[in-house]
Amino acid sequence: MNSMSNEYIPKAAKIIDIKEEVGGARAIKTFRTRFISENSFSHRCGQCAMLSVFGKGESMISISSTPLIKDYLQFSILKMGRVTTALHDMEVGETIGIRGPYGNGFPIDEWKGKNLIFIGGGIGLAPIWSVLQTALGKKDDFGNLMLIYGSRTSKDIVFKEELEALRKDMTVHLSVDVEEPGWEEFVGFVPSNVKDKAPSPENTITVTCGPPIMIKFAIMALKELGFEDQQIYTTVENKMKCGIGKCGRCNIGPHYVCKDGPVYSWAELKDLPQEY
Amino acid sequence: MEKILTKQSFPQWVKKLKSYNVYAPVKNDKDNHWNYETIDMNDPNVLDSNYLNTVLSPKKIIFPQREVFLEFGSQNEEGYDIKATLPDEELSVFFGVRPCDARAVALMDKVFSGDFEDVYYWKRRKSTTLVGLACNTPPSQNCFCLSVEGSPFSKEGLDILLVDLGDRYFVDSLTEKGDQLINVAKEIFKEPGEKDKSAVKKAQLDSEKEINRQIKDIKEIPLKLKEMFDSSFWDEESLSCIRCGICTYLCPTCHCFDISDEVIATSPLKGKRVRTWDNCQFPDFTMHSSGHNPRPDKASRLRQRTLHKFQYFVEKYNHFMCTGCSRCVSKCPVGIDIIDVLNKVNHYE
Amino acid sequence: MVNLEDLKMEAKRILDEGRVKYIIGYQRGTNGVMSVPAFIKKPEDVEKLIWDPTCIYNLTRFLVDEKRRKARQKEPDQRPVGIIAKGCDTRAIVVLLQEEFIKREDVFVFGISCENTGVLDEKKIAEKVQGKKVKKVEFGENKNFIITTENGSIDVSAKEVLAERCLECKANYPVIGDISFGEKVASGLTQPFLSLEKMESLSGEERWRFWEQQFNKCIRCYACRSVCPMCYCEECVVDTINFAVTADTSAEEKAQKIKWVEKSPVTSENFIYHLVRAMHLAGRCIDCGECERVCPVEIPLRFLNKKLEKEAKELFDYDVGFDPEKPSLVSCFKDEDPEDFIR
Repeated sequence: MNSMSNEYIPKAAKIIDIKEEVGGARAIKTFRTRFISENSFSHRCGQCAMLSVFGKGESMISISSTPLIKDYLQFSILKMGRVTTALHDMEVGETIGIRGPYGNGFPIDEWKGKNLIFIGGGIGLAPIWSVLQTALGKKDDFGNLMLIYGSRTSKDIVFKEELEALRKDMTVHLSVDVEEPGWEEFVGFVPSNVKDKAPSPENTITVTCGPPIMIKFAIMALKELGFEDQQIYTTVENKMKCGIGKCGRCNIGPHYVCKDGPVYSWAELKDLPQEY
Repeated sequence: MEKILTKQSFPQWVKKLKSYNVYAPVKNDKDNHWNYETIDMNDPNVLDSNYLNTVLSPKKIIFPQREVFLEFGSQNEEGYDIKATLPDEELSVFFGVRPCDARAVALMDKVFSGDFEDVYYWKRRKSTTLVGLACNTPPSQNCFCLSVEGSPFSKEGLDILLVDLGDRYFVDSLTEKGDQLINVAKEIFKEPGEKDKSAVKKAQLDSEKEINRQIKDIKEIPLKLKEMFDSSFWDEESLSCIRCGICTYLCPTCHCFDISDEVIATSPLKGKRVRTWDNCQFPDFTMHSSGHNPRPDKASRLRQRTLHKFQYFVEKYNHFMCTGCSRCVSKCPVGIDIIDVLNKVNHYE
Repeated sequence: MVNLEDLKMEAKRILDEGRVKYIIGYQRGTNGVMSVPAFIKKPEDVEKLIWDPTCIYNLTRFLVDEKRRKARQKEPDQRPVGIIAKGCDTRAIVVLLQEEFIKREDVFVFGISCENTGVLDEKKIAEKVQGKKVKKVEFGENKNFIITTENGSIDVSAKEVLAERCLECKANYPVIGDISFGEKVASGLTQPFLSLEKMESLSGEERWRFWEQQFNKCIRCYACRSVCPMCYCEECVVDTINFAVTADTSAEEKAQKIKWVEKSPVTSENFIYHLVRAMHLAGRCIDCGECERVCPVEIPLRFLNKKLEKEAKELFDYDVGFDPEKPSLVSCFKDEDPEDFIR
């Protein structure tokens, strides 16, 4: 009994930095947290953690920092409900609870030597940010890196400064959904941008994340371009409570998204009931 | 070990179990139903001859409907004052556990182990001894344990199985915990004879014959369900469902739960994080904060319950997540009958 | 006696004429003798309909489901839904009409008279047959039921096995109906609130202890709420945190929702849930008894609602669910109303 650790107890972490990415009704903030006591928390890219605001509840958020950074954990959070609103109301120095890491992470070791294309929409850039940064950090292990990312408007783009910095190491194609003055890149939805740039499926892995409808059309676009099911990866989200595959809430068929996911290749996902 | 205990001596055994919390099925007056409660140790009538089965299985106590995970208090240097509230390791013994309910506990054990072990569950489970009572006749007209690889005399999940042989019990101890329980009063137990053992065999055969209801060809069902995911069958079957929680809360294998914070005071902040039973039949069970709901209607929720128990759990653990206790069949307010649903699945084109 | 063949014939005719989308009625169940709700869409399926003392359900609940279903459809079929309703069930329909939850043209009522009897109580029947399996229960000619078991048939006076609420029946004949079946017979009810006397004789302390014992059994399955036709709120007091959320609800709105009742089934929360639900049904509950029937732990919920029904009568001389033209008690104000603080 003593050797059984209590997975439900969060560890305390201080918020050390908050950056406002997007303001307004669909606000997004990026938080950096550091654990108060030493512990052995280490994650793989694509994994998530349960963030606790005591008195409000918990919320499962992808860890968007790469595991290569040991100093802090980064989370980009869209203000959506009770817990996320409480997080957005917090200030640097306040404490939250973190437990994890949960989920299966991206099988990045299997992708050595391949080209990687990251396709993101809106807040969907956050879950793939960690794998993008990890690939950048180990650039020699991979082929060409490309990012195709879009948002509703230029104001909704996350990680703006970091995106500009990316251009020296990889190809970056941005888009917005509708015309706006001063925008010189692609105008249209992200899947249309994918078709427009028509990347080759040769020796390439794609990672897609965004609103469910964007993922659906992005996968269709990739299939049209000749990508095989096992070359297409995505992350799925579902309502979660325990985070450890016990409470029965986040299941897609026999899988628990919090444990067997959230990362799936299209080859695996298409065989599961399309109930998410 | 196998023993014989006369019904007359049974209360003496119970009296010796002073170091245990003793649970047995109790019927409160004016009620028509049984429930597990701690008993008066001096009451000789621990196992009433009219006893059928409880409304809530031992799940009610091993996996309680409310479990406090931790208490939290206001911020200090270390962040928050967090105290994990693990259950006491008090010894408990349950009498009168029907074999279907014991098998259900064994299934829940699978769920709460694995990569992450649920500490709260295991603290209670490890200090619990289950003493089963074989069903000489099926407790309900709707029992179907035989269809799901169970039996009215099944020993799975139990520490001891008692078989009622009229004036005495055949006592079959299956685990160390069972042996320990017997040793507390070993002098009142006798050795069984061949007559006793053949009486048990006969009682089992007689009982199995009485089980009325059956799910035919159950081994075909997981694959058939997989093929029927998009069928309109579920719309038809769920028409009369009223989205209450009876089938899932009464089910001995259902274990879905919610975790929420209960705030007692706000300045300074004080509260508890609790686990409560939750229910895949409630409309908001899978609803995202954004309002998107993967299971927005009764059809998808009935489908989820059926597939979880008869396809997904089979794919993961090679076991049906149902032990045939038939509480859901008997207690559904509108008579939705899972046995009937599954038999229809078998014939579905 | 209600002629089942007449009922089936009329149901078939109405379906053939396309006047209703489907008819909600009763059919044989698959586990035991009790009927189950039936949804008859095709005219030939009317053969499934039955009418006997096991037809205990208040099918009005499914009119609420129908309204929700229509709200989700882009171009819903605007035809009414047919429903087979006993006297008590029609009172529930009247309440829904008074509250304008449904319109009169949304429902086609096949009213059925319980005549001199009513529907059975499963536990009383089980006691009468002492554990034998019941195959059939039928209405007799003379205020009796005919119970058939594997051992043959027995004749039982209906009064001995009637559901408790049928003993206090206020409407044994449908109060509204497009087509009605059976005779109108005087109910002979002289003391409508007799069952409350024992409870009312208890002191406040004793009543508290009674209800504490009862509510401690509650597992918050919400079957009582789910089966009640009048509990149709999209956002119920116990679910405010989760419910009635759409893509347009702002994060602030969601963050500010108040959790009135915790999910934990502890005494305090169970009390609040049941008492608030009873208050929300004051002047609306027609005592169909479904809440008490479905409760898996046998909480005598009818006492709560009946008490408020009695107060509606005593304070406002209001009989619930009789006149669809009359405004509902809780949504209107009259000069004669006793409280003057609201003037």
